[in-house]
Amino acid sequence: MFEELSLNILDIAMNSLAANAKKVEISVLESRKHDRLILRVRDDGRGMDAATLDRLLRSRGTTKTSRKKKIGLGLALLQQTAEMCGGHFHVRSAPGRGTTVTASMRESHIDRPPLGDLNATILTLCAANPDVEVQLNYRSDEQALRFNSQELVKGKVCV
Amino acid sequence: MNLEQLKKLKEKAQQQVALREGGKKYRVVVSMGTSGIAAGARDVMKTMLDEIEKRGLDDVEVRVTGEHGLEDIEPVIQIEEASGEKTTYARLDSEKAKKIVSEHLQKGRKVDNLAVGKEKKTE
Repeated sequence: MFEELSLNILDIAMNSLAANAKKVEISVLESRKHDRLILRVRDDGRGMDAATLDRLLRSRGTTKTSRKKKIGLGLALLQQTAEMCGGHFHVRSAPGRGTTVTASMRESHIDRPPLGDLNATILTLCAANPDVEVQLNYRSDEQALRFNSQELVKGKVCV
Repeated sequence: MNLEQLKKLKEKAQQQVALREGGKKYRVVVSMGTSGIAAGARDVMKTMLDEIEKRGLDDVEVRVTGEHGLEDIEPVIQIEEASGEKTTYARLDSEKAKKIVSEHLQKGRKVDNLAVGKEKKTE
């Protein structure tokens, strides 16, 4: 179990990089009013077919072929956290169509880990592969914020 | 997250971009698989990026990789030099990461007590 949800996000997004994504879009919706916290990591990587996805989710499989790795816990950890905190977990993917991982939880649930250092997660992803476009959409009851790494490269810093 | 933090994020990311230019003497590779992250690899990476920027080391690039099969000694980083020499550091935390930046990356002195394994040369 990760201590911060932003570590789950980093972990899931690392899979996106491994899937050769050109763009990784991370959305965080934090609403006290609706007692909901929703995380979504969407990429345009190579995606997976239904059988692979089923293997990942049901038997903690992995798509990684390096070494003799047989299990993967990244998705399982996030799924457990979501379901433990009164929420849902969903992965949508198809070969060539990218992958979207969505996890929701009750914002007020006593077991819900803090969001944590989202900035460190985004900066790590930007540094990890400068060619990949990293976007963060953050929304709360009060405000909507957006960060995009490519806009930065072009020198258009606008807040 | 708030506006202040977003500004900070943009500022930091901009500095990262600025450090990206030019030939690099050192390449730091941080192991950022699930077990690495659980052991604190993100904080190690963040500290290294901060320290590299603070010291203005523009001949260092920092990248990430998946797991190495070294789960029990995470967080792990590997420093590759232009000569092909590789040094692996393990069981890191922010303090140790700072030391590696100031000693190895800035002064070119290996931190022997944090390094693991044999020196490897790749042709």
